[in-house]
Amino acid sequence: MRFRTARAPLLATVVLGATLAGCATPPPASDPEALADYRETNDPLEPTNRVFYAIANGIDSVVLRPLAVGYRYGVPEGMRDHVHNVLANLNGPVLLANDMMQGKPRRAGDTLMRFVINSTVGLGGIFDPASGWGYPSHSTDFGVTLGVWGVGEGPFLYLPILGPSNPRDLGGLGADVAIDPFTWFGQGAAVRNLGYVRYGMTAVDTRTALLGDLDKIKAQALDPYATFRSLYRQHRESQINAVKADTRATTPDWFTAQPTH
Amino acid sequence: MPTRRILMACCLVMPFARAAHAQSPEQALAFVNQTAKQLVGIINGPGSPEQKRAQLQEVIDRAVAVDQVAQFCLGRFWHTATPQQRQEYLDLFHRVLLNSIGGHMGEYHGVSFAVGRAMPGDGGGIAVTSTINRPGQPTANFTWVIGNEGGSPKVIDLIVEGTSLRITQRSDYASYLARNSNNVQALLDAMRRQLAAAG
Repeated sequence: MRFRTARAPLLATVVLGATLAGCATPPPASDPEALADYRETNDPLEPTNRVFYAIANGIDSVVLRPLAVGYRYGVPEGMRDHVHNVLANLNGPVLLANDMMQGKPRRAGDTLMRFVINSTVGLGGIFDPASGWGYPSHSTDFGVTLGVWGVGEGPFLYLPILGPSNPRDLGGLGADVAIDPFTWFGQGAAVRNLGYVRYGMTAVDTRTALLGDLDKIKAQALDPYATFRSLYRQHRESQINAVKADTRATTPDWFTAQPTH
Repeated sequence: MPTRRILMACCLVMPFARAAHAQSPEQALAFVNQTAKQLVGIINGPGSPEQKRAQLQEVIDRAVAVDQVAQFCLGRFWHTATPQQRQEYLDLFHRVLLNSIGGHMGEYHGVSFAVGRAMPGDGGGIAVTSTINRPGQPTANFTWVIGNEGGSPKVIDLIVEGTSLRITQRSDYASYLARNSNNVQALLDAMRRQLAAAG
């Protein structure tokens, strides 16, 4: 015990030192334009984030990207669409919970009908007849829900494996895993392995969809890290604004079209 | 005396400020319709890649406020650049823009545009929504922000799935400059290298 207390201040100094070393130095107050740029970027952990970006980028180039290229080359498009549909359908319950927490009944209705139709008529989500029947797909998550509730994004984070994020979206991701019934459904090695297959396939499916875009950004940006940061933050904000702007009435069109007098 | 000078300055500037906004949503819609039609015509039309590039250059020069966008993208460094650097930067920016649009024309073969509606956009411009359909690809949402330059409508930004191209470009340049001791010459060299690599 005494050993531990003696070491605690030393440990604290080392940890604090490491954290401070990973912080960007804000420009001096005498340079207001540079300071405004610094605040707008909202990336006080930039040096640490860049290290994680470099690692993630390296892993991506040798593992995930080749996997995605192989997947696109080796698996016919129709089959890839079915895989994508199944994965999207599995996400239905989480989507529904978020639509409801965002207070968007029309979106929740779309999600519920999609899940019911695609799980049954669509044979467990392999096919997507719901889109053609007037229930378009959309995506959302608990990070967006928090944003709709007015929670700020917090400083930008680039995370190992997970990529661009921020405290709000990272917390949201944890909440999404927690509210997903498939996280808690069943037990045993088989179920656990199916869960891993699902996460693995989601990674490959997402990476394949981004193949062209990511290659383009890396080729055209002078600072790809800064470009990804800007794109991520703008995209998240636009997703939150899109939910806020969705004020469709819950009454059917034919009902509201009736004369009111 | 200073108040009068400010008032006079305001009176002089006001007509121009108003002119910048003197644009109706209908005008912006018609302009986007026309420009989109020209672009689709070039992308899906006949001609060698070189011919298409020349046609594209013509449309960009006519429809996009390239100098204005370039200045926005350089941000506060526009003021620190020398006149010579500014000119060099504008030349390079024109080429970078043409490259980034022209380099992907092949991928858009078979494209069709549907122009949506116009509404007030950020920074005094008018935002015109549109969707792009490509064979075998999900529909993409595209918003054109139309400003006014010299009395005629011009594109000042494109917003693709909620991300502004000029804001993204500006943050790319700003970050590159911050990591190269705010040296505009370093940015110009990087842009030149980038153009050389793209061929």
